[in-house]
Amino acid sequence: MSYKKLLHEHSPKELVESFVFPVKLSAKQQKAADLQLAEAREKAREKMTAEEKLTGRLMGLKFRMEDYFRAEKPNTEYSFGYFLKLYIELLDMKRRGFAEQIGIDETLLSQFINQRRTPSDYIPIRLELHSNNSIPAEYWFRVIEKDREGAMLLNKAAMRKKEMKYVTGGISVHL
Amino acid sequence: MAIIEVATGRKLTAFISPLEDADFKLITKKKYFFDWKKEKGTADLFKLTLQDESEILGLLALTDFPREFRMQIHLLCVSFDNRGKDKKYDGIAGSLIAFAARTATVKYFDQACISLKPKTELRAHYKAKYGMMDGGPQLFLEGARLQSIIKKYLP
Repeated sequence: MSYKKLLHEHSPKELVESFVFPVKLSAKQQKAADLQLAEAREKAREKMTAEEKLTGRLMGLKFRMEDYFRAEKPNTEYSFGYFLKLYIELLDMKRRGFAEQIGIDETLLSQFINQRRTPSDYIPIRLELHSNNSIPAEYWFRVIEKDREGAMLLNKAAMRKKEMKYVTGGISVHL
Repeated sequence: MAIIEVATGRKLTAFISPLEDADFKLITKKKYFFDWKKEKGTADLFKLTLQDESEILGLLALTDFPREFRMQIHLLCVSFDNRGKDKKYDGIAGSLIAFAARTATVKYFDQACISLKPKTELRAHYKAKYGMMDGGPQLFLEGARLQSIIKKYLP
């Protein structure tokens, strides 16, 4: 079936609820179209409010966190420290000022960012409050949990070997 | 994301995931209009399915333009049974467009943009339905409009 036939069978409103069709442009037309799009976007960006920009940044962070903790396999590129650092960067804040705002020492913040310390339960709560509930505490908890899962998988053999000496008894049934 | 069953008004949970090689056996031109095999390797391909069901309700081909912080909807198609007045489910195309917007936002944050090249007859209708803006021959979404479509279709 062709596009023209579809136009006879469906209204334009119905078609935009079902399709995006390919439109071929010559190289010259494409170049001009790209330029026009860039100009239109520049004008749109000039009108963009600070709130709009911050919303876009926080949505990006939130979705990236979702993708991380919902993924079947942990992605070693991401961690609690990565997302915390990104949050501070997206707010255009300095670490010292941010640490002050959530009531912790800058050194402790750096330890979280560099993954030298696992955050206590109060940290996700403070981050939720700081973000005006834009990034719920649950998101930070789930990221921490995913980090633990990743570490467990990565060091599976070594962790078992280390703990083996402490387990002196056990049951005989195996499921 | 929520898809509406037209007959009952019931909201159903849907998933969008990358298209796998095995899916191409089920993707016919009759049902999904385009030759999707031809798009393999030229764009990122995604399918929309309902929870616990394997039937593909919609397909999306997305091309990334990293230097422009933009993703282009190259192709989109809703399955044959879900087009027009007698469609079974509503919100499939909107969910796929919102997914493109989400994907761009994950990668480009506040600079994210999605675009498409509309057929002339459909231009005004994409603008009315999805809040798209004019960008020369192309239409685009960014900023509050991009965020709004995500909130609407991916609550």
